[in-house]
Amino acid sequence: MVTGVLVLAGIVSLGWWLATDPVAGLTTSEPGADNRGENAVPLADIDIGAYTETLGSLESRLEGTWPRFRGENFDNISRSEIPLIESFPAGGPKVMWSLEMGEGYAGAAIYRGAVYVLDYDEGMRADVLRCVSLTDGTEIWRRGYRISLKRNHGMSRTVPAVTEDYVLTIGPRAHVMCVRRETGEFLWGLDVEKEYETEIPMWYTGQCPLIDEGMAIIATGGKALVVALDLETGGVVWETPNEKDWKMSHSSLMPFEFGGVKMYVYSAFGGACGIAAGGDHAGEVLWETTAWNHQVVAPSPVCLPDGKIFLTAGYGAGSMVLQLSKRGDRFDVEVLQEYEPREGLACEQQTPLVFQGHLLGIMPKDAGPLRNELVCVHPDDFTKVVWSSGQTRRFGLGPYMIADNKLFIVDDDATLTIARPGTRRYVELDSYRVLEGQDSWGPLAIADGYLVMRDSKTMVCLDLAAERQ
Amino acid sequence: MKKKEKDYSRREFIHRGARITLGLTVAGTGVLALARSGPGKETVWQIDPFKCTQCGRCADECVMSPSAVKCIHAYDLCGYCDLCSGYFLPGAKLETGAENQLCPTSAIRRQFIEEPYFEYVIDEELCIGCGKCVKGCAAFGNGSLHLQIRHDRCLNCNQCAIATVCPSDAISRVPADTPYLIKGDFISMEEG
Repeated sequence: MVTGVLVLAGIVSLGWWLATDPVAGLTTSEPGADNRGENAVPLADIDIGAYTETLGSLESRLEGTWPRFRGENFDNISRSEIPLIESFPAGGPKVMWSLEMGEGYAGAAIYRGAVYVLDYDEGMRADVLRCVSLTDGTEIWRRGYRISLKRNHGMSRTVPAVTEDYVLTIGPRAHVMCVRRETGEFLWGLDVEKEYETEIPMWYTGQCPLIDEGMAIIATGGKALVVALDLETGGVVWETPNEKDWKMSHSSLMPFEFGGVKMYVYSAFGGACGIAAGGDHAGEVLWETTAWNHQVVAPSPVCLPDGKIFLTAGYGAGSMVLQLSKRGDRFDVEVLQEYEPREGLACEQQTPLVFQGHLLGIMPKDAGPLRNELVCVHPDDFTKVVWSSGQTRRFGLGPYMIADNKLFIVDDDATLTIARPGTRRYVELDSYRVLEGQDSWGPLAIADGYLVMRDSKTMVCLDLAAERQ
Repeated sequence: MKKKEKDYSRREFIHRGARITLGLTVAGTGVLALARSGPGKETVWQIDPFKCTQCGRCADECVMSPSAVKCIHAYDLCGYCDLCSGYFLPGAKLETGAENQLCPTSAIRRQFIEEPYFEYVIDEELCIGCGKCVKGCAAFGNGSLHLQIRHDRCLNCNQCAIATVCPSDAISRVPADTPYLIKGDFISMEEG
């Protein structure tokens, strides 16, 4: 009797177990659930350079320059010998002028008394290259093109490249424009997204254009990895094939000479590489590695004389140190170090500085106890922190540079800090909140003792020359 | 000398004392109850999102299962980014597959709005209050995702079990008429 009941209960239980789906109430998360790509809008035809306005004239005796992203030598260090203040006067530094900007992070280039910045005019809905007097902020001319952009953590985020004759810009949707420096006369334009089927990086283009030996050098991604264009005509000089289909990152091309060979080092989405910059092999890939491959790469490569190349990125990527070597005509690259943000120097947005062989940079938020601190790491081991600004002195994603042997650091809220660069400890001299806005992430520019900085909506010029105080 | 006669008996004395004691007790309780139920005096537990370090204990320590702590989205602070560090695991493909998601219960729904915007909506039924999305959002995003105690679920215990273990002392009592500390609407109580 009992056995029969047990057998029956067992059969009923088995039947229930077989008939019941324990995951019936669950839903699966599968790709495509977000309907990505719906409502995609075809690319508009952009008439690059069509808009222009002449607003004034410029007569300046100033000779100083900060001609591009990271300055003359691509290191964010000013060689000007003009002494700068090391503390702020009561009431803050002297503001020479203030300019309302479209929301963004575009930085300025300075050339002989003129400031050049590629702004986004939100009222006109246009990328506009603005030429402004360095000393009084008067607008000299404007040149641009209408393009409808949506706010995507701001719009603008690049720095023009300037020479005696030319100004070269690249806009949020990778429209390249070349104009005469003094007059703003339009020379040529290139819609990189259309011509090279480039995928524009998230939050728009962050790559700053490069002028080198009479050519515009642009890392396009898409149908070509890097292209060189004649600066006068825009004609293609060479193109680097993009066989691995690497994508355009926010990082900028950095010229580097190693083993007697000049190259452009690029940290792309997909990998890092060195492209021959001249000679018979111009445009050829000298070396490449896919060991470095991250979704978001904003800082540019830091190339050191001994062939080390420091690569870093945010969003948890951390950093990698490559060692370049040359055997005959061939370059080899090996990974020396690879580590997470909490293990050594890493930067999310800005590119580190090299000071006396040491690297200086502001750590990202996911760097553990060192989060948002300015750190200095040892030349032989970038995980060895020599000093940091300390738990009571944290910064944000803003820029930093060296001028007159002083460190100028901008915090997210436009607080400008002056510190003494060194390899032993952090020495802060003074700080002052210059603007009331936020997201002061645009790169700094300095020339003739005038520092140009910005928050997300306002650009200002500060007179930091000690003798003019 | 003649002893003065008592005005009331022993029994009457005890009765009268008991009545007074009872009356005082009732009156005192009433006064206390009125005091506690007065406007703005009642309090509830809440998390200060500016002090929260997303340690994960809200998911485990709450007496409710799942936790009464849920992720809240302050949309006016959100960047509506394609790459949302509160939604995606670091380095993941930007697709909605479970293997790419940071949330262990898929409690965040991602929806394409128009180029380049994506909207992120919290499904509170699935949210367990682990704070992983909040940590990701705070690390690289605008910090629009943050944890709050939901008062339709919270039992308002005399002593909040999470508050006793919170390493950043982020949970405290707030007035019941302003029961939420939503980012963008207030500044940290510590700063304020």
